[in-house]
Amino acid sequence: MTIWGALAGGAVGTIVLTSGLRIAQELGWTRMDIPLLLGTAFTDRRGRASVIGYAIHFTNGLLFALAYYAVFRAVSHAGWLFGAALGVVHAGLAGGALITVLLPAVHPRMGTPWSDAEETPLLEAPGFLLMNYGRRTVVWTLLAHVAYGAIVGGFAAQLG
Amino acid sequence: MERVDGYAPIRDYALVGDGRTAALIARDGSVDWFCLPNVDSPSIFARMLDADRGGAFRLEPTVRFQAERRYQDSSNVLETTFTTAQGRVRVTDAMTLTDIKRISPMRELVRKVEALSGTVPLNWSFEPRFRFGQGETQIERRAGRWFAHCGSDAVVLGLANAGEGEHRNGSIGGRIELEPGGQALLSLAAAHNEPAVIPGPEDSRRRLERTERFWPQWASRVEYDGRWRDAVVRSALVLKLLTFAPSGAIVAAPTTSLPEWIGGGRNWDYRFTWLRDASWTLDAMLRLGYHDEAHAFFWWLMHASRLTQPRLQILYRTDGSVHTEERDLDELHGYRGSSPVRVGNGARDQVQLDLYGAVLEAIWLYAQEVGRLDGDTGKEVGRIADYVSDHWRDTDNGIWEVRDERTHYTQSKALCWVALDRACSLAEAGMIPDRSARWRSEADELQRFVDVEGWDDERNTYVRAPDLRELDASLLTLALLGYHDPQGERIRGTVAAIERELSEGPYVYRYRGDDGLSGEEGAFLTCSFWLVDAYARCGRLDDANRLMEQLVEVGNDVGLYSEEIDPRSGDFLGNFPQGLTHLALINAAVSIADAEAERRSA
Repeated sequence: MTIWGALAGGAVGTIVLTSGLRIAQELGWTRMDIPLLLGTAFTDRRGRASVIGYAIHFTNGLLFALAYYAVFRAVSHAGWLFGAALGVVHAGLAGGALITVLLPAVHPRMGTPWSDAEETPLLEAPGFLLMNYGRRTVVWTLLAHVAYGAIVGGFAAQLG
Repeated sequence: MERVDGYAPIRDYALVGDGRTAALIARDGSVDWFCLPNVDSPSIFARMLDADRGGAFRLEPTVRFQAERRYQDSSNVLETTFTTAQGRVRVTDAMTLTDIKRISPMRELVRKVEALSGTVPLNWSFEPRFRFGQGETQIERRAGRWFAHCGSDAVVLGLANAGEGEHRNGSIGGRIELEPGGQALLSLAAAHNEPAVIPGPEDSRRRLERTERFWPQWASRVEYDGRWRDAVVRSALVLKLLTFAPSGAIVAAPTTSLPEWIGGGRNWDYRFTWLRDASWTLDAMLRLGYHDEAHAFFWWLMHASRLTQPRLQILYRTDGSVHTEERDLDELHGYRGSSPVRVGNGARDQVQLDLYGAVLEAIWLYAQEVGRLDGDTGKEVGRIADYVSDHWRDTDNGIWEVRDERTHYTQSKALCWVALDRACSLAEAGMIPDRSARWRSEADELQRFVDVEGWDDERNTYVRAPDLRELDASLLTLALLGYHDPQGERIRGTVAAIERELSEGPYVYRYRGDDGLSGEEGAFLTCSFWLVDAYARCGRLDDANRLMEQLVEVGNDVGLYSEEIDPRSGDFLGNFPQGLTHLALINAAVSIADAEAERRSA
């Protein structure tokens, strides 16, 4: 088990997670667009927002891989199955708190249940379990994060 | 305006759009047709195709009213003024253009209400019905706004001084009462595959003002200064709305299944780009000075057709893809009971040889404008010319997409001659590989076929096909595309025969014979403008001016034309507004101006 394995898994896992959610978007299964949501926290130009959003998302993917690695070290075990289980927790964190509660709280252009949306253009808030972006969003978020966790766990176990 | 069973006359619609999708708004203020996110996507409002279940966005006085409409000067911003016994109120409708500096909705329809005098109460009703009314629409209130969503699509209703709105039976409705000078704003912001952007009223107002400034600037580039400038500018503005900005492709019309005869089954989806219209499009754009749009369309044309070259498909989607499978939407009633409602277009599987002439003519026009073709494009053009040489002897469905048995249509053969003639010209100019000896020899044989088999000596005219001795208004294109000298006996004879046998007042029917489909159809407005064009090229300028004068009066109150018209009632028929009719109008007006200039210089 090595930190480099976890980071490599984080890079590959983020690509898979992002691509999976993008495919789900294109197939009409969700309206969630993570790069747009993240990037618009920094700029209100769509093109730039997507570029910035992708960079942030990729960086987050690596940082989360480090967090996974810390857990693997703590329990002295890594593997794709354990990684997938951590992915479920990760999905719960992302869908239940990070994107649902924290992002609207700090995002300068996102509506919340208590904003009146009168003056500034606002992005639609994700809602409980991201379901404002379509009911199936929760399913795809879960599957994408499970895939991410499995890849990080697998890479961390194998590359070392 | 009187609705019949809930359906407004086609003539009473006006178009707004943003270069990606478009909405049709009836004279009584109801948005009855709107597809999201693109012009060829499923509808959210389709009251035109089902008055009960289609969905609409209504906004009208609660008391009796008279409505007057106009587009703001040289723009695609619509103003409807309602006059009532209690006062006057003006509604300004537009699809706003994207704000590139600030995040803005993917698509936005803005409806501004201004009280001009007195107090006029208005009711509004927002009835979203996604996916042609087949989708399960969810409506909820969040962050002080109404959201409607269905799968990957969502719309947000923005209201300022228009009340809060009440949700009742899948619709949101409210009432507006403004003091004189007061304003209200309703906006519809749409999202597809992404979180919705929720605009504030000031942002919508700013985008509306920017949109109001953009259109007159764009229209001022029209280089035509003749007698029919207003009609030509309006037609150019319509074509700009039919142009899908991301690719440069132009849809034939923004609607599907508006019938060619009320109650009939000739109802087709026109939200695609027909290659046949290529030469008229390039010609019109270049003649009006819209070089950027002409270049964009040319590159779309070459790029889209690459999938099937050297064989060309009849029609393509605006993104260049070839999937246009036709299916019926049985759940929709159809415009005034005209069913079936179709989406997709089965004509893509037909053989239409005339389109090769249209495409090669377009390439020739573009090459003359630019002065060169790149090497790969030149090779592709050469292969298309080879394909025409190999296949002109085949039977086809003809320009009118006849769903009967294929035959040897005279117009198709003549346009194959145009294709080979232009290929020879391009080869002689060194722009494409030179196989002109073969192309010229095939062209000569083609011309012999057309001039012998497709000619009727007794009536002094070309006929529809060797086995169909009737007339066909598409033969007017022989005059327009330079198949023989337009002032020569054969073309003048054909123009006179079409005038004699196919026209009724200013209107011209495509043909009178059977076409394998049941039911009637109206006169085809494009053919009337082709007749004007042919008159001008034949040297019959007085006739051209007289007919043009009549036809300019035929447009609706805001200058739009449909595909067909009922000569007896003057009712518009078919998809609306029709790009080909507006292209033919532009080209006819410019041909008259050219002929007049030539006469003056002579």
